[in-house]
Amino acid sequence: MRRLSRVVGLTLVVVGLGILGALEAQEPKRGGRVVLGMGVEPENLDTIRMASAPAAMVSEHITQTLFTVDLQGNIVPELVESYEVSEDGRVWTLRLRRGITFHDGTPFNAEAVKFNLDRFLDPESKAPFRFLIARITDVEVLDEYTVRLTTDQPFAPMLAHLSHSFIGMLSPTAVQELGSGIETNPVGTGHFKMKTWTRGESILLERNPDYWEAGLPYLDEVMFRFIPEDAARVVALEAGEVHAIMRVPPADIPRLEADPDIEVLKVPSVRTIYIGFNNQKAPFTDVRVRRALNYCVDKEALVEFVLEGVGRVSDAPFSPGIFGYSPMTPYEYDPERAKELLAEAGYPDGFKVNLYHPTGRYLMDAAIAEAVQAQLKECGVEAELITLEWATYLATLRKPPEEAVHDMYLLGWGCVTNDADYCLYPLFHSGEWPPVGWHLSYYKNEEVDRLLDEARVTPDPERRAALYKRVIEIIWNDAPWLFLYSEVQVNAVRKGVQGLIHHPREYILATEAWLEQP
Amino acid sequence: MWRYVVWRLLLTLPTLLGAVTFVFLMVRLLPGDPAVAIAGVQATPEFVEQVRREFGLDQPLPVQYITFLGRLLQGDLGISTRTRQPVWEELWARFPHTLELALAALVVAALIGIPAGIISAVRPYSLFDNFSMLVALFGVSIPVFWLGLMLMLLFSVQLGWLPATGRGTLAHLVLPAVTLGTASAALIARMTRSSMLEVLTQDYVQTARAKGVPERVVILRHALKNAFIPVVTVLGLQLGTLLSGAVLTETVFAWPGVGRLVVESILARDYPVVQGVVLLLATTFVILNLIVDLVYAWLDPRIRYE
Repeated sequence: MRRLSRVVGLTLVVVGLGILGALEAQEPKRGGRVVLGMGVEPENLDTIRMASAPAAMVSEHITQTLFTVDLQGNIVPELVESYEVSEDGRVWTLRLRRGITFHDGTPFNAEAVKFNLDRFLDPESKAPFRFLIARITDVEVLDEYTVRLTTDQPFAPMLAHLSHSFIGMLSPTAVQELGSGIETNPVGTGHFKMKTWTRGESILLERNPDYWEAGLPYLDEVMFRFIPEDAARVVALEAGEVHAIMRVPPADIPRLEADPDIEVLKVPSVRTIYIGFNNQKAPFTDVRVRRALNYCVDKEALVEFVLEGVGRVSDAPFSPGIFGYSPMTPYEYDPERAKELLAEAGYPDGFKVNLYHPTGRYLMDAAIAEAVQAQLKECGVEAELITLEWATYLATLRKPPEEAVHDMYLLGWGCVTNDADYCLYPLFHSGEWPPVGWHLSYYKNEEVDRLLDEARVTPDPERRAALYKRVIEIIWNDAPWLFLYSEVQVNAVRKGVQGLIHHPREYILATEAWLEQP
Repeated sequence: MWRYVVWRLLLTLPTLLGAVTFVFLMVRLLPGDPAVAIAGVQATPEFVEQVRREFGLDQPLPVQYITFLGRLLQGDLGISTRTRQPVWEELWARFPHTLELALAALVVAALIGIPAGIISAVRPYSLFDNFSMLVALFGVSIPVFWLGLMLMLLFSVQLGWLPATGRGTLAHLVLPAVTLGTASAALIARMTRSSMLEVLTQDYVQTARAKGVPERVVILRHALKNAFIPVVTVLGLQLGTLLSGAVLTETVFAWPGVGRLVVESILARDYPVVQGVVLLLATTFVILNLIVDLVYAWLDPRIRYE
């Protein structure tokens, strides 16, 4: 026994030394500049007015949020130290971290949080994402580092929604002094400070020397360069003009993988791609038809051959890694079964429908629509493809059911709050049909409505998860969509850059990155 | 002459008004809403309403139009719905870059096109002529996108001589200018060639030769100056084409000009910026045309403007 413990002890020491050695080799170096290549320039950087992933990507380096989401999908405090929620789920008390200042020296405290939340909630604020926390009726300062939020009814997704990049904390002094200037000169508490923004070209950030997490950040500067064309972004990476890029086209993956100086990373995304049926219009009023089409399409083949492996077949209406996810068994590819179901439903010879799809909005979207069209034809379903430019597409589809033009439509939904409420409520609750929301499949199931309403106001996470599990089961069996796949982001990084964070919210963070040779 | 210039400038006003009105109506006829383009599928109805109110898009079209013209007369192009920056600032930050690229491309085009055209005309149907006209055919046919990417792969990735994307040094200008200028070079070469061929057959050239004027002088002084009128027209119009045709080149090379701005703005239904860019390009085009007309008079003293 004693001998055994000695062996174990020795092993532990050896392993320990190994880890230490590895740590030593990985010791971050200070200084230098990392350049990230992105396709789209942020529209502006005033957190409350932002609305896109590129804006969030830049902003996350400058401005921080009360809570944040880690790579495992957990919601963890960032500027908050601890919190508690009242029994009835309506009052949230947040205790803030102490000793943090904004880049302009303004202290980060309860007053600053109240200023930011009030500004976000002001109906005149023009915040596109005001709905995230619109349930808050009062923000109260209890003492210098304690804030109390009150909602009109229990609102369980609160913490997940407070982690949203668009509810970033800006310096109240700067917002008041700069006015609209805050849009191009955000002043936050983050790792980096705004240095210059050259419209159409790049944004340059510099190190925040007073950053509150000891030792961070390592880099002197981070630059974001805007290169709209996918192929040109790949070339810029190969030429060494940028350190990392996003959205590598599938065709370029093998070439980059063969390059010893470049590493290709496949990162799960919170965006799910689906084809919705018009559930209020024949033939899709019949659940057998909806199921039949799910059996008719070979999702594995779409992912493997059209997306070249860059996707994950859906086993729920949203991706794993999000609170409330529970997997179902995907409808297997079975055209015979599909034909039987169609015959049962009274369509032995199939039918003709239209299938709306965007082109260039999602990876290979048009090719996916074509592949689905070809597979449906095998089951006797003729789908006429209609494609429109993106803004036109959205305007055309977003109609109340009686004015709807679509039978089927391809769309994606980025569940950016990491909470099932946002993945399910807007897309399956019958109160969200246009003109109210974006529920374009006009699916209506009273039990789903009831469960979604209940889950929204249930503070207990376990109970909520159980409710969502039930919702997912019902939705899966009702098949209001042709379930397809969730996206996988393909990023590529040059060797020599360490510590980049590739986030499922579709951005790369250099907050903890460093260069092997600064 | 000055009276002519002033008169011509006054005549441009209806042209510009027409262009602006056309674009004003066109962008509004497109389906799609700026608010939805900003917030995407996540846009709430309240937000959509708010944006419509903020930018006056809830007003009837005639009211919007009169408001727009009224502001325009005061030199106010409005605020971008996408970035919320004044449109003037957006244009001012980008137009010089587009002008820089277009001028560089024109220089490339002229330096290649004119000599190639002259040599081809002097030795018609020679090996050089056939070869350069074949190359010119390729030049006008090659898609800008493809050419740009090939040049980048060769000169930036393989050889590492020139930067692939962005703007800054003179080196950054080379690849985009060559890419953009190639089609124009081909066109100018063909134009110069045919114009020279025509002039070279005229009597006064024969006379000059008969007088014993050296061939070089005959070609470069006597023939070229007269052959230049159509070439100058093409050059002037090409500059206009290059300015508006820079859209693709700017996209491929991540060049921060108005071409990329207008593409992004159309996609985002950013009406004020689209209107601003079109007004700016239309004005430039009209002024270029005027300059071309004035250059005629300098090239050919028989042309008078009264």
